[in-house]
This record gives sequence, C-alpha cells and structure tokens, in this order.
Amino acid sequence: MAATALPRSEAGPGDRQRALAQFLAGASGAEAAAVVRLELLAGGAIQENWGIDAEFDGGALSGRHRLVLRTDAATGVPSSLGRVEEFAVLQAAYGARVTVPEPLFACADPAVLGKPFFVMRRVGGSAAGRSITLDPSLEAARPALAERLGRELARIQTVRPPRADLDFLTVAGPARQIAEFRAYLDAHPAPRPVLEWALRWAETHLPEPLPPVLCHRDFRTGNYLVDGTRLAAILDWEFAGWGDPDEDIGWLCCKGWRFGRLDREAGGVADRAHFYRGYEGEAGRRLDPARVKFWEVIANIRWAVIAMQQSDRYLMGGSRSLSTAITGRRATECELELLMLLDPAGAAQRVAAHA
Amino acid sequence: MRDLPTSLDLLALGRQMLLDELLPLLPPERHRDAHLLATVMAIVAREARNENGWQEDISGLLRDLYGDGAEAPELETAPGPTLAGRQGRNCAPPAAGGRGLPGSPGGSSGADRLLRRLARNLRNGAFETSPSRAAAARAILWQLTIAKLREGNPHFLAANGFDPAGEQGK
Repeated sequence: MAATALPRSEAGPGDRQRALAQFLAGASGAEAAAVVRLELLAGGAIQENWGIDAEFDGGALSGRHRLVLRTDAATGVPSSLGRVEEFAVLQAAYGARVTVPEPLFACADPAVLGKPFFVMRRVGGSAAGRSITLDPSLEAARPALAERLGRELARIQTVRPPRADLDFLTVAGPARQIAEFRAYLDAHPAPRPVLEWALRWAETHLPEPLPPVLCHRDFRTGNYLVDGTRLAAILDWEFAGWGDPDEDIGWLCCKGWRFGRLDREAGGVADRAHFYRGYEGEAGRRLDPARVKFWEVIANIRWAVIAMQQSDRYLMGGSRSLSTAITGRRATECELELLMLLDPAGAAQRVAAHA
Repeated sequence: MRDLPTSLDLLALGRQMLLDELLPLLPPERHRDAHLLATVMAIVAREARNENGWQEDISGLLRDLYGDGAEAPELETAPGPTLAGRQGRNCAPPAAGGRGLPGSPGGSSGADRLLRRLARNLRNGAFETSPSRAAAARAILWQLTIAKLREGNPHFLAANGFDPAGEQGK
C-alpha cells in the first residue's frame, strides 16, 4: 500500500510527520530524525500499525531503521489496554526473552499525533493464519513451530505479579470471567442457551487456582509472525492481564483459531503434543488435560461473546461494515464446539447418524 | 402470483455472476470482500428456503420440555434483556453511536420466551436433578445449533463430521 497520512490530529499530514520525526529524535537522543517512508499495514481492526522507515542522525539509533508505530484505530474495544500500557507489557515480555519486536519508545502526549502511540522495531514475516496453517512449504516446519510456541508461552509466564511496571494489569480469574460473560448475555436481546449451559458447566467445574502469571489473552495463530519457517515475533499484547497459566493454552487450542486445519489442535499448526512438549520443557510443569479443557471451554465462550460483540457494532454501534456485522454468526460455531467438548456422547451419536 | 424466475433463482444467478465474472476483475485486496458477499447471499438463500421450519421444530421441543406450564403467566413477566446491563471490562456492549439494538427476530413470540426460559433454567442448573429433562434440554441445544449452522455455515458442520444438509441430529 502506498504511503499515506498518519492518523488524526489538528495539524496536516506534513506537520504530523515532522512532529513524529521530532519525537523520534528526542526519544532516541538523535540530533535529528526524518521519516522517509510511511505505510498503513494490513490488519488491525482495533489498532492501527504504521510501517515507518526513519533516518536518525546520531543517538541510540543512528542510521536508517524500519519501525512500526502502533496507535488506536477509530473503533477501539473496551477491553484492550491503552497503547502506553501495551508498550509496558511488550517491554516486560522482551525482558523475559519472549520473541517480540523490540519496544523502543512510547508517547502519551496527544500533541504529537493526536493520540497515544508506541514505536517498535519492524519484524519481517507474515501473520496470515491460513498461510501459516495451509502453505505447503511450511509442512515440515510446523511441528517445530508448535513446539516453539509452547516455549514462548512458558517464557511469557515467567512474568508474574507483583510488578511495579505492570501495576495497571488486573487479575481476571475464571469466576470473574463467567460473571462478565453472563452480564453480557443479560444485556443482549437474543437468548443463548448453549452459552448458558456451558457457563453453568464452567461455574461448577472451576479448577483449583494456580498462582497468576502474565496472560497474553490473544495468543493464537494470526497473532504471531512467521518469517520463512521460523517464528519471528509474538504480536498484539493489547488484551494482556494477570491470569491462570492454562488460559492461553486453551485459547491457542480453541477450534476458532485453526484456520482450515481443524485436525491440528494446536492453532491449526500441529498436534497438541508438540505444543505441550515445548511448553512443558520450558515451564517445568506438566499440563493437566482437565484444566486445559476447562480453559478451552472458556475460550469458546469468550470467542462467541467477541463474535456477538462484533455484530453489536453494527446492531447498535453504527458500524456499516459487512465483515463486522456477519461475525456474530460465528458464535454458533463456538456453540457447536462447546457441545462437542461437553457432550461427547451426544456428538458421537449425531456424527454416527451422518456416517 | 409473483413473476418467475423466483427471487432465489435470481439470487443464485447474481452470486454466480459475482464469483465468476466480477471477482476476477477486482484487485486482490477486495477478493475477500467479494467472497464475504457471496457467503451472505448463500446464507440468505438457505434461510429463505427453510422459511421457519426448524424454528417450529424447536418450539415443539420446548413445549414438550415445559409441558402444560409452557405458557404459564410467570413467563410473561420473566426479566428480559436490558441494554442497561452492567459494564463488564471484557464484555461491555459497545458505546451507542448509532441506532438502538433491536430485539431478536420474533423476540416477543412464545417460542422466544420459551428459549429465554430454557437459557435461564440452564444458567440455574434447573434440570440437573432430572436426567431425562437434562437430556431433553441438551437435545434442544444440539438441534438448535445444528439447524443454525445448516443455514449459517454448513461447511463447518461438515468439517466436524455432521450432516450439513440432512435431517439427522435431531
């Protein structure tokens, strides 16, 4: 996509580009900086990511660098962190040796671009889910990719509270999540008995709590970059919080993130065994299938609610996007998966009737 | 009394034109949108073909589950949904910037009230002491879900081993 204008501010595009260059120079200790290329990157319904090529005259980044500027899109969602907070989480992950783009600078001052943003190094690769799960050239590399994802997740979980730099993060245990899902359903006009049934199951099968860890909360295929055959970066930390160590495992394995390879339960990439092996080897903790199942049920409920929220943006948020409006239909896919997870005998009976 | 071809025939022709003739003319970054439009047209066609068939089946099952109390007066006063629901951090409905959220289709019908009652009962575990009623409730959940996916995403049903078009699974 051709270079285009930076987001909203009172100033014109040229002024904003100069303001950004001035910010980059100040933040990096350069005598001067220039933005020589700017492009809006694909994806990002909630955030905007801008690719930047910048030249620094002196300072910590002297020379030319490829960077990414991340800021809010026009329509945020209430559950995502602010950009300065997300930057702090990214810094914590970087410090824990998680494979992430190096975080460079954050700016909370709306005078620069009109809204907060942060800047990180640009990492090559693709996050396109279907490409990662279906591209034949990745076939041999996928088991190792799944194992690597397990190791990365274990490293994320080495970040634990209390952390003064992450004191804005809240703990969202399963009981709180169940209450929030029910509150959402109460506010929605369409009854969802399958979700209610699954929430009741979850309420009556709460796992023993484990000490909270940093949860990415959107750790899945589509949110990491693969460059060639190697994992290049874990992206999109806007939903992070403190939570149960098995929550992200359930999310990655949730059927909604398998992108055309439902048989490969670890994010459409490989069998769970590869992912689990990487995780267990790095974390030094054996995974309990019953706990993972619990979090997979929660993942499917959460996915269903997110899908419904997308359609809400059309139904009452004023969005005219067809893609947004139709996403709510995907909630029923999650409901089928919940039935399959929680009533395997019923599933077998109905599949057998088809066979 | 309507003229032929039927609206469903016209819709099918339009979808074919979109996929076969128009899509190749679009830049690659709009192909996904064209496929999305084709998906919507297919959903509309499936829903139109089914009319209200499966909803009536579900209504019948709900009436069977609730028996003589299916139309009890207490149902009329059951708390309905409210847009002033609490603002959960992860689940708050989006800020109202457009029109209000309409009720679900048929939202005031007896079937809808029974479905809401089922949802409320499942939340409260009302059938957990009666295996037969729990099984009957589960059967409704299965039938409802499969029926919705037959219209909304039959490919997903098939990918999970279910019959995407037949009558099994009831």
